[in-house]
Amino acid sequence: MKIQILGTGCPKCKQLEANAREAVTKMGVEADIEKITDIDQIMELGVMMTPGLVIDGEVRSVGKVLTVDQIAAQLKGGK
Amino acid sequence: MACSCSCGGDTSIKLVYSCAGAANTGYLADQVARKLNHEGAGDMTCLAAVAADLSGFIESAKSADKNVVIDGCPVGCGKKIFEAKGIPFTQYVMTDYGVEKKKTGITPEVIDRVTGEICTAMNA
Repeated sequence: MKIQILGTGCPKCKQLEANAREAVTKMGVEADIEKITDIDQIMELGVMMTPGLVIDGEVRSVGKVLTVDQIAAQLKGGK
Repeated sequence: MACSCSCGGDTSIKLVYSCAGAANTGYLADQVARKLNHEGAGDMTCLAAVAADLSGFIESAKSADKNVVIDGCPVGCGKKIFEAKGIPFTQYVMTDYGVEKKKTGITPEVIDRVTGEICTAMNA
């Protein structure tokens, strides 16, 4: 599983990354977590607000800091 | 691109979409959307990508404070796309601004006038 955190490095982006890491640990899944800070790359995905969360190439949230539980639900395949 | 982060400000996020159809009205819709984007009234993004269900565009539309759909004519392709996705939006139609489909010439003056009227309506 590949998880990408979209954001330029602000506090909310960092919080989303921390929550994603905690969710991965909690769910016991194997995942690569990558931070994308390049605005052009973020906009290529159609993301107009940060932070953003991408799981296996699909943008799951934009402009929000999902909680650990919300990310865990996403990892299970929920929306 | 807007940042919802505490460092990025709390301004409202307005996304602007244009039908960009083939007729003069579609051309005007596109030009108005670009001018609104240029003037900072909103961030223009791709209506076609919303129609194509591209996840980043769909999630951005869902998270925006306001989605402004600029349609050229009453056929309302932009409106129908947003209705189909169940995403809230506000629609403006170029033919409501004294422009006749396939007849009115789209001059810089027309673009300026319609952009100004829509900008005022967006902020009302």
